[in-house]
Amino acid sequence: MSYALAGVMGYFLAGAGGLLWPRAQRWLSALALLGGLGALLAWAPHFPPTPVGGGSWGITLAGDQLALGFWALTLLFHGMALGEEWRRSGPFLALMTLLLGTCLALPLSQDLFNLFVCLELTSLLSFLLVGYESKPAAIWASLKYLILTTVGMILYLVGVGLVYGELGTLSLAELRGGTWQWNGSLAVGVGLLAAGAATKGGVFLFAFWLPPAHGRAPHTISALLSGLVVKMGLITLVRLAAVFPLSGVLVGLGVVTGVGGLIYALWERDLKLFLAYHTMSQLGYMLLGFGAGALLGGTAYALAHGLFKALLFVAAGKAIAAGGSRRIDELSGRLSLSTSLALGLGTAAIVGLPPLAGFAAKGILGGSLPGWGKWTLFGLGVGTAASFAKLIPLLVPGPPGRAWRGEWPLALGLLAAGGWGLSHVPSLLSPVAWGQALGVVALGGGFYLGLRRFHPPLPRWTLDRACLAILMGGLAISLGLLFA
Amino acid sequence: MRRGAWLATLTLGGLIGWATTGLFPRPPLPPWEAVTSQWGARNAVAAVVLGARLYDTLLEVLVFSMALVGVRWALRPLPQTEGRPPVAESPLLERAADVLLPAIGVFGVYLAASGHLGPGGGFPAGAILGSGLLLLALARGIRALARELPQPLLSRLEYGGLAALIVLGGGSLTLGWRGAWLLVLANLLILAKVSTGAWVVLEHFAAHRGEV
Amino acid sequence: MEGQVATFLASALLVLGLGTLLSRRNLIWKLLGLNVASGGAALFLVALGHRPQARPPILGWGPGPAADPLPQALVLTAIVIHFATLALSLVYVIFLTEHRHTQDVPKLEREEGG
Repeated sequence: MSYALAGVMGYFLAGAGGLLWPRAQRWLSALALLGGLGALLAWAPHFPPTPVGGGSWGITLAGDQLALGFWALTLLFHGMALGEEWRRSGPFLALMTLLLGTCLALPLSQDLFNLFVCLELTSLLSFLLVGYESKPAAIWASLKYLILTTVGMILYLVGVGLVYGELGTLSLAELRGGTWQWNGSLAVGVGLLAAGAATKGGVFLFAFWLPPAHGRAPHTISALLSGLVVKMGLITLVRLAAVFPLSGVLVGLGVVTGVGGLIYALWERDLKLFLAYHTMSQLGYMLLGFGAGALLGGTAYALAHGLFKALLFVAAGKAIAAGGSRRIDELSGRLSLSTSLALGLGTAAIVGLPPLAGFAAKGILGGSLPGWGKWTLFGLGVGTAASFAKLIPLLVPGPPGRAWRGEWPLALGLLAAGGWGLSHVPSLLSPVAWGQALGVVALGGGFYLGLRRFHPPLPRWTLDRACLAILMGGLAISLGLLFA
Repeated sequence: MRRGAWLATLTLGGLIGWATTGLFPRPPLPPWEAVTSQWGARNAVAAVVLGARLYDTLLEVLVFSMALVGVRWALRPLPQTEGRPPVAESPLLERAADVLLPAIGVFGVYLAASGHLGPGGGFPAGAILGSGLLLLALARGIRALARELPQPLLSRLEYGGLAALIVLGGGSLTLGWRGAWLLVLANLLILAKVSTGAWVVLEHFAAHRGEV
Repeated sequence: MEGQVATFLASALLVLGLGTLLSRRNLIWKLLGLNVASGGAALFLVALGHRPQARPPILGWGPGPAADPLPQALVLTAIVIHFATLALSLVYVIFLTEHRHTQDVPKLEREEGG
């Protein structure tokens, strides 16, 4: 475990060094990436939980498949971001290195308070990076993000207090091994913890900061936030659910998030906001998987979603820069071939076309869900295909443009992960599975033609409403756990 | 909306209040003396903050530094407000600053350096030193003080301190460094970090205060 | 007993802070409410360290039961984090005031979109 910690410290040191010597920050960042790769190779075989600091006060860290997967994803994202932002001025790369370092630190954590501090660090760095270009709309999105996540984190902190007061420890690993009594105070505390983590984790009703923040950020940052950072809240939820009886809550939140995000995405016309709503919807898949106890399926979907959503955001950023508009209907024909190709690849992956990672992950996830879960996945898949059908006009290439840079690691990752899935899960190779995937997409296209004329009035989520939603959601989870 | 908001918060607060009734009286503390002295401290809070939970503290110092980076970066494109800040000037204040400042400085450094032995530590000491700087700024004018403490030097001190703390913390976490020297050093670094940070926030907020 | 009173007080601070956050339109008021609420969360944690007739958890400070040092250490961390978020949010408020000349949330929301 100290190898992993050394890797994390290397990231932090590279970030601090980058702030100290701004000229060296890109090289320091690249060095941190190399160090991270080395650390990954060194700690990958060692999984048992280790207390860091020792004694009854120490912090427990542990690696598992989830942490391993997120390490790999983080390092891949680092490659992508370096490729995209190599020439950016200011403290951008140093801040990004620190953000990636925190994303390496959080999956290892098995300590309630350590999770809190890691979440706060990701939040603070995200605020800075969302508002980095000093545009008023982005600053407002960032401030909204800041206020809403702070509300969530206050609830989380109270939850930490209640759980510590009741059980006398902060270590989740210790609680998983020990015996303790579930009672009313604990139910309220765990409900508040879950509400705080859900606010960070982009759950529908809790996280209406997500669409503006992910939609207004610089495009590499949108990719990082949607692909990686928002899942830090999700990891926290998974860690909590491994100890406390939260699986029902996760499944409920998963269905609500999947459907809610999808409804907003179906009628959204702004390209980046559309992708941001889809991030919410896709988080529902993962919650569903984790709630139903399919750790491998949920993790696989989280990683695959990271890959294709980042690819989509990077391509969307380039499309918006080339087309001079954020509206989907105004962008058609203005994209270069390479951007169209990236957008098309991402779309094919997100709607679950074989043989890409989206198809494989959906297959692994569906295989580990019970019957109702499969039907939910089917419905969400049709909806996703229907909402992505409006991107089809964008796939017609226009004038030539810049070649791929940061897209390479993501696209190769999509193909490699898809290939790995197909070669390890034999059921994915059957013609029935391929036919089903194509059928879902065709059905979605049909729905799109029907839905195009119909514009339901969707409620807008102002700051006050979103705050109230967090409080009500926390209340609902707590009461649900109390009376379950 | 308003009434509903208060109703929701009241229900939540009531639920939290109800949940705490089961927590008291608190169970007796597990033995803590041996663990405390094992870290080279006499103050158990210092042993937790800079020993057993040094990792958290490291992340927290990073959070603090990021806020300062944000203060600098987000205010950078905004115009600075000209003229003296509207602060009441009085000879009494200047004299008080002359008398009090050395005492504040010594007290701050003392609190940081002895934080592992008794009450104190880098964070409160940094806050005290920062408020000393505030007193000095009120007495001499914030612009004059800002000229004496140039930003590049301060930021170098701050980021250097951060890097040193990460090295120290990384050594403690991965190589098992421990002892009183580590606690003293970490407290002094945190003191430097927090006091310069307080000054940076103060100076930037004063420079961009806008027109009232 | 004192610990119980302190946790009730902390819940009251949470209600006051979050209620202010929800019912005021001005950004500064909202941030004040948020800060009061985080103060409530910090007080809540400190109260858990309470023991009747306890002394500070410092070696050599007399006999008797000591207060729990862990919540105190957690609160030290939490306070610094709250300070950091508050400083950053105030900076963003300065920025928005400079560009949009308002601190009214519904107005900002209309201008910047959802």
